[in-house]
Amino acid sequence: MDALIPFTTSGSLVDLVDKKVMVILRDGRKLLGVFRSYDQFANFLLESCVERLHYKLEYADTDLGVLLIRGENVVALGEIDLIAEDRVPLIPRPLDEIRTKINEENRRKERDHLIKSKVLETVGFVSDGREGDAY
Amino acid sequence: MLPLSLLNAAQGKPMLVELKNGVTFNGHLVDCDQFMNVTLREVYQTSADGERFWKMPEMFIKGNIIKYFRIADSILDQAMAEQEKQRAAGRQRGGGRGGGRGGARGGGEGGRGGGRGGPPGRGGPPMRGAANGRGGGPGRGGPPGGGGGRGGRGAPRQ
Amino acid sequence: MSSRGGGRGAPRGRGGGQANDRGEKKKRESILNLAQYVDKSIRVKFMGGREVTGTLKGYDQLLNLVMDDVIEEFENGMPTRSLGLVVLRGPNVVLISPTDGSAEIANPFTSEQ
Repeated sequence: MDALIPFTTSGSLVDLVDKKVMVILRDGRKLLGVFRSYDQFANFLLESCVERLHYKLEYADTDLGVLLIRGENVVALGEIDLIAEDRVPLIPRPLDEIRTKINEENRRKERDHLIKSKVLETVGFVSDGREGDAY
Repeated sequence: MLPLSLLNAAQGKPMLVELKNGVTFNGHLVDCDQFMNVTLREVYQTSADGERFWKMPEMFIKGNIIKYFRIADSILDQAMAEQEKQRAAGRQRGGGRGGGRGGARGGGEGGRGGGRGGPPGRGGPPMRGAANGRGGGPGRGGPPGGGGGRGGRGAPRQ
Repeated sequence: MSSRGGGRGAPRGRGGGQANDRGEKKKRESILNLAQYVDKSIRVKFMGGREVTGTLKGYDQLLNLVMDDVIEEFENGMPTRSLGLVVLRGPNVVLISPTDGSAEIANPFTSEQ
């Protein structure tokens, strides 16, 4: 039966319907939820959705419920292997704790980037664009 | 249920709209079109940093600056039930769904008729358990309801 | 401004009869009834973040707007700038709301989860 479904973008998305997926948005957010439907623009409907924040091997989730995502904003969509998920050594932590850690990390990166670009400038490099600017 | 069909079905219902620039709007959906343009009523606007708030009676938003909508679970449930009803009425000789729309799903895939219910195996936290309605996991505030987490965007105080 | 009155409706080519024949007139019509805002004060935001307020004088289906007494406002508290009578191009418009009844308010959301 699968042979009847051409291997196109929409053809492969069919297989993900009603599966647990992760969606990555252009703003860097990672969303997990049940993939309920989609259309030709890759607009997605996710149910029981959570936003997941990561810090190293720790994470925290925020409940979002039903989410209708405009396709333009999607970077990636992938099915979550429920078996493999159990083997990933991720540690749930309180949301506030993860937020604090991420903020600290961002401040560190910001400072490092500033130092790095100053040094590079002295030897004639232009430093624009940075991690996370790809999209 | 296509994404835009849900939006249509959500007319009159409260929802949260986040724009690409991070600004959010809480309001009741008045109308929407195929471009995802929407009009909202009784709107609370929140700035991208979550620090400033505005109230406006009415708001038109172009579809192309929208990032996503947060919609109440109950609206999806209602809309799916409604769609199911119409589909059943459409094909008078009962018969579940499956095949409904040709195209991608192909005619032969009636096997997935039951439709929704989490993936088989385990009802992990964010999943909805197939049998007992809500799967485990922390309680979940309805969309325009409990978003208190991000700079206090949640339901308007009544 | 008599010419304006005529131009204010939908481009007739698309509206009216043809749409009725197809029985999907609703879909063709704008979801925003701009007639309700004519001669009223509205706020318009553009792609790129600019923002103006003024009195709506005319419009078309593409959301091109004619506004009078337009004032451009800036997010960062810079003094406003008066633009007078202006044509706003529809494709660049992203938000429209009436100024009447709009105001900045204190956090209306409960902070408990």
